[in-house]
Amino acid sequence: MFRFKTLMFLILVASMILSACGGQATTPPTAATEAPAATEPPAATEAPATEAPAATEAPTEASQLSGKVTIWMWKAAHDALTNSGVLDEFKKVQPDVEVEIVEYNPADVYQKLPLALQAGTGAPDISLVENSHLAQIVALGGLTDMTEWVTPYLDKMNAYKWADAKLDDKYYAMPWDSGPVVFYYRRDVFDAAGLSSDPDSVSAAVATWDDYLTVCQTIMEKTGSACFSNNKANNYGRLYEMMLWQQGLGYYNAEGQVTVDSPENIATLETLKKFWDANLTSDQLEWTDGWYAEMAAETEAKPIATLIEAAWMGAFLKGWIAPGTEGKWGVALMPTMEAGQVRAANDGGSAFVIPDQSENKEAAWALTEFLFGNVDSQVAMFKASDFLPSLEAAYADPVFSEPDPFFADQPVRPTYVDVVKEVPIAYVYGPNYPEMNGFVATAIQKVATGESSVEDALKEAADAIRAQTGMP
Amino acid sequence: MAETTVMKRPVLSLVARLRQKWIEIYKARWPYWFISPFYILFLIFGVYPILFSLYLSFTEWKGLGPIKFVGLRNFELLLKDKVFWQSVTNGAILFFLYVPIMTFMALVLAVILNSKRVRGFRFFRTLLFIPYIMNIVAAGFTFRLMLNQKYGLVNMMLEIFNIAPVPWLESVWGGRISLCLLVIWAWLGYNMVIMLAGLQTIPGELTEAALIDGASSTQAFFYVTIPLMRPVILFSVVLSTMGSFNLFSEIYNLTGGGPINATITPVIVIFNQAFGNFRLGYASAMAYLYFIILFALTLLQFRYFGQQVD
Repeated sequence: MFRFKTLMFLILVASMILSACGGQATTPPTAATEAPAATEPPAATEAPATEAPAATEAPTEASQLSGKVTIWMWKAAHDALTNSGVLDEFKKVQPDVEVEIVEYNPADVYQKLPLALQAGTGAPDISLVENSHLAQIVALGGLTDMTEWVTPYLDKMNAYKWADAKLDDKYYAMPWDSGPVVFYYRRDVFDAAGLSSDPDSVSAAVATWDDYLTVCQTIMEKTGSACFSNNKANNYGRLYEMMLWQQGLGYYNAEGQVTVDSPENIATLETLKKFWDANLTSDQLEWTDGWYAEMAAETEAKPIATLIEAAWMGAFLKGWIAPGTEGKWGVALMPTMEAGQVRAANDGGSAFVIPDQSENKEAAWALTEFLFGNVDSQVAMFKASDFLPSLEAAYADPVFSEPDPFFADQPVRPTYVDVVKEVPIAYVYGPNYPEMNGFVATAIQKVATGESSVEDALKEAADAIRAQTGMP
Repeated sequence: MAETTVMKRPVLSLVARLRQKWIEIYKARWPYWFISPFYILFLIFGVYPILFSLYLSFTEWKGLGPIKFVGLRNFELLLKDKVFWQSVTNGAILFFLYVPIMTFMALVLAVILNSKRVRGFRFFRTLLFIPYIMNIVAAGFTFRLMLNQKYGLVNMMLEIFNIAPVPWLESVWGGRISLCLLVIWAWLGYNMVIMLAGLQTIPGELTEAALIDGASSTQAFFYVTIPLMRPVILFSVVLSTMGSFNLFSEIYNLTGGGPINATITPVIVIFNQAFGNFRLGYASAMAYLYFIILFALTLLQFRYFGQQVD
């Protein structure tokens, strides 16, 4: 009895000390100036409430699964699932599977998920991961080999989406949405500058980056509006990456050699530099209040005139960044480095992964397949969120040709679809993306603030990347 | 032969001594049981990670999969790693930017608020201490809004006095100064309390005597108070030194290490390498090198400040 009491006392003391330790171990806060993830705005997306998808034909497969499936994802994605009603539809097919969604910011997912994979415990059954970080997590290991499951979808999704999911001929992720990059512009500003503001003539006017520079100069002279936001001292390279992607370039090449200091990459940054040098950009950092303000501004208040960003940006613009500017936006094609190149790039996009430690993989896959491999669900989620499905069969749905009042009744979705079909294979994302992006971002900051020449800055970044990653 | 006999004796006596010790420990086993939780936890969560990290510093490991031994390669890379050395330099720059100012301000404020003649001294003590207990994430976010070049409150107020917008978070030195402002704001009260505690151990008669002997109050402050406060100041400065190299939340939430890595500190670099790039071996090597640097700095400070305290 006495010994038992002592033991209990010791346990009590230990637990007190343990809990005290626990209190001190603060979880790292989310990155302040870190790039918000592609498909996730810092604030809530007000997804338009759409009607539930027209009665999905329940797949006839008889296997009834049960158990609980936990998913980590960010708010915008969660909203897409909730507002589209797809989870209710899934419930009809698999009534015994319980789905629990836990919301984390992308930055938190990229810290918590690897730690859980490394620890071998604590991971969810499914996690949403952006393509930018997907290859790194696949390379880390600890994910379920989904090759058998995804094989039927390999030719049904945008081809370029599989690159980050693949390692040694095995697939570890199922794509949700793609991020075809388009050219958003303010019709009112173009009108005020005396330029034609219909999408086709804007596309023609900004065919190349040199043409774009001329257009920006006109806009600056006539209206005083900056052409686009591209912060100098804290730039994190997102626009630069889109420029590289458009040319099928990246931070490395198909042979795995670092190309950060290649002549093509240098020329690309030199092009971006012309806009800084000519004072045509605004210095607001992306995903900060100043940036939103300049997009939401009235015509007289000198809003930014253009924005090169992926399709999901349209939903954010009309949802919460600039709902007051309805009818003032248009969508054209992005400029290219050389005339005649494809006018397409990708930014962001996401996929589901199933950690190997999940005890309910079958149900996790059933849900994944139901959501992303199914035209009805993909269309329903697209209506609710504007996350462009990677599933190409979805593009035949009539919703894709509807005019959009936010873009002055321009049917913008056919443009998204045209672009996504042309997105070239590029080498921006990959297993070493976070550090490559980090070094290049610093190089861009040095160039933008005039501390270094393009060549020197990129050379230094390339050397650092080579030293650290061991890539040739 | 002779050697072995000589060797044997101390060994035997050592065993005997150990046994003696063990008997003593056994007799007093209860107190040891009571303090054992700390040591057990310290072994698991303190000693083990430190040693494991030392081992990791000679390896390449992502946290999953095989651990690859690479010898001294991590340290070799580290010597050429510009970002790491920039972060060490940044730590030093930040130290010189804010530690002297903050220490001096803390001391002066402590002296003022130590005097019972100041009206509402308790109120001001609390007021100065409040930032310390504020959440640094919220503070960092607020500072970021206030220091925005175009829409920030600070630049708007400067505009009234016709001062051109300051690129607080958009330039190398602006970033560093902004960070120092946040750090001073957050930590001044804490340091003031340390000084205040120190001041209260100094007998009032000493200052009084100096004043009677004709010293001005400024002279009394510099020639009586400060020398007596030396150990307390040392304590505060040593803490701030380690603090300036260890800054994390403040940077993470205000500048993110930018612009152009101007405010990145070793701890941020280590964190990024370990948990952003999954280079646990390299990060461990960094942590060890950084520990050596910091240890040397602290020794230096003890040498310089700690000498003539009597």
